[in-house]
Amino acid sequence: MSASPVETQKPAKITVKGLRKSFGANEVLKGIDVEIAEGEVVCVIGPSGSGKSTLLRCLNKLEEISAGHVIVDGFDVTDPKVDINEVRRHVGMVFQHFNLFPHMSVAENIMLAPVELKKATRVEARAQAMKLLERVGLKEKADARPASLSGGQKQRVAIARALAMNPGIMLFDEATSALDPEMVGEVLQVIRDLAAEGMTMVLVTHEMGFAKEIGDRVVFMADGVVCESGPPAELFGNPQQDRTKEFLSKVL
Amino acid sequence: MGMFLVFGGAGAAMAAPADNGVEGKTFVIGTDTTFAPFEFRENGELTGIDMDLVRAIAEAEGFKVEIRSLGFNAALQALTSNQVDGVIAGMSITDERKQVYDFSEPYFESGIQMAVAKNDDTIKGYEDLKGKTVVAKTGSEGEAYAKSIAGQYGFTVKSLDQSATMYESVKSGSAVAVFDDYPVLAYGVAQNNGLKTVTDKVPGGSYGFAVNKGKNTALLAAFNDGLAKLKADGDYQKILDKYLANPTAAQPTTFLDLLGKSFPALMSGLKNTLVVTIISFAVAMAIGLLAGFMKISHNIVLRGIATTFVNIFRGTPLLLWAFMFYFGLPQLTGQPINIWVAGVLTLSLNSGAYVAEIVRGGIQSVDPGQLEASRSLGLGYGKSMQKVVVPQAFKMMTPSLINQLIIMLKDSSLLLAIGFAELLYQGQQIYAANFRVTETLLIVGVIYFVAVMALTKLANYADRRFNK
Repeated sequence: MSASPVETQKPAKITVKGLRKSFGANEVLKGIDVEIAEGEVVCVIGPSGSGKSTLLRCLNKLEEISAGHVIVDGFDVTDPKVDINEVRRHVGMVFQHFNLFPHMSVAENIMLAPVELKKATRVEARAQAMKLLERVGLKEKADARPASLSGGQKQRVAIARALAMNPGIMLFDEATSALDPEMVGEVLQVIRDLAAEGMTMVLVTHEMGFAKEIGDRVVFMADGVVCESGPPAELFGNPQQDRTKEFLSKVL
Repeated sequence: MGMFLVFGGAGAAMAAPADNGVEGKTFVIGTDTTFAPFEFRENGELTGIDMDLVRAIAEAEGFKVEIRSLGFNAALQALTSNQVDGVIAGMSITDERKQVYDFSEPYFESGIQMAVAKNDDTIKGYEDLKGKTVVAKTGSEGEAYAKSIAGQYGFTVKSLDQSATMYESVKSGSAVAVFDDYPVLAYGVAQNNGLKTVTDKVPGGSYGFAVNKGKNTALLAAFNDGLAKLKADGDYQKILDKYLANPTAAQPTTFLDLLGKSFPALMSGLKNTLVVTIISFAVAMAIGLLAGFMKISHNIVLRGIATTFVNIFRGTPLLLWAFMFYFGLPQLTGQPINIWVAGVLTLSLNSGAYVAEIVRGGIQSVDPGQLEASRSLGLGYGKSMQKVVVPQAFKMMTPSLINQLIIMLKDSSLLLAIGFAELLYQGQQIYAANFRVTETLLIVGVIYFVAVMALTKLANYADRRFNK
């Protein structure tokens, strides 16, 4: 895909500086420095427990940050004066277990944020929800309950919901890990389309093939630090670190 | 307790002397709730020897009375604090009471009698009581007398609170005899309470009408004057005979009669039960939601307050709080408390503690991912709770909340201990007057059952309708 080095010269959309995160005495992130440019697609890979998901969840402050800075769209989310809710509206997030709201219809799930945050009337929000559902190929499910959908359909609705506030950044936390194999493809296709539209994206994933295909850059994490990062062809084709080689030999 | 009767006698006023100082005035008279045959309710109206007597005297003397049925102790407290002008409540004239009240001439000479079950031919006198158990009313002259001869005749005295319960234990055989005030016994026997008297009456106290010490002297004089007139023209004896010798107040004889006669009072009791339950449950929900959210708060102070509240009210009996709010609080504040306020406080604080735990459990049972998903969309904590977490929590909480509502409806019967006129209280009032304990309790039980079933159906319907 568009792994051209030109993109790294664009202004940074996300800047992570010296990020540390501890759960009690257990330090999960031990000083992370990453810059992500506008329109860049970054795939984060690594063994479980390496801190991939925690890093992702620090980007929109779903986790309290122990030390360091995370600057998203020019806002330092670690600054208590920054309205984190305002920042989150620019950052869509997709979860491993979808986390759709079961007491609402599919359309209502998507309409919730625009309506409650007074960005749209119900009528406008409904029209927008229908467009988003069309985009993920689920227009006919607008009035269905989440419980009646398959896993792949649920995740596509979750993506549509995350897009409802027109975010400039999308975060995917193992978005296909909970899916049956035959449903992975439909979700990856939606993500692929988003990448093609130039969305800035950070994906934590176990799909190495997909990371190779879609990523402008792949970040390999191990033991709470970024071990190695680079264009997929280099990282998968010619890993420099032993830790990276060891991991890739197990998963490829 | 708001029940009062205004008894006017405009015509009779003309017959009264013009200078007695009471003519045309209205006096507030406090009395007991149920002490048959002196005061009790029949078809919702207060009646009995005391009531007939005070009304007849008022008519003869040309004043008006407003009767307040407060309960014995509350009536005396009200007299001390000048909230009522006089008290007539089958009250014995004692030296202690004479220190704080002024009494009329005795209007009734009481005494103690012993009664046994109607079909019991073995107990004919005190000498047959050896090794047996008898019952008497706590703190009464009957109890004092029974205890004074218990050693001599070798029997045991067990003390109970109500005449009706004493009679039931004699009929059911857990005691062989009962010592009680003779007019109360005589009235009961006349109402077919299943007992018969077997000994002569032992002369006991005299009953008097009381006013506060040094107050209402004209009222006291008028009472004495009127009493003398009634005795002179034979009306006094007629009133006594009506309740003791030949009760004309025909009590229901068949079950259907009992049902028909007691139904209006029981329905008013049911209404109070339902109203106090609904108000208290609404308050309990508000308290419980607040305390439940405080319990999951990150603020340690809020959490501490909520946990303390829950622990206190879950760790202490409901009845204790009923007494505390109704009897204890007024003594601390010096302000009388409305019985509805005391009742609602008792039920809602107790239930609020349980609702708080239900709310906490319900919210914590919602997948944390739900809150994260909502927060990640940019919705604040409050909005996320309101739109995403609480609706799901409520769905899970509903069965527990319905259960709590039903527990509260049944627990509201405990308020009878402070004299709240709910369903079981009304039942007690009825069998205190007619002694049909088993049948009355059966009717009350069926009404509770139907009310609980109806409420359950309604709540389940609402659950299905709103929690699809």
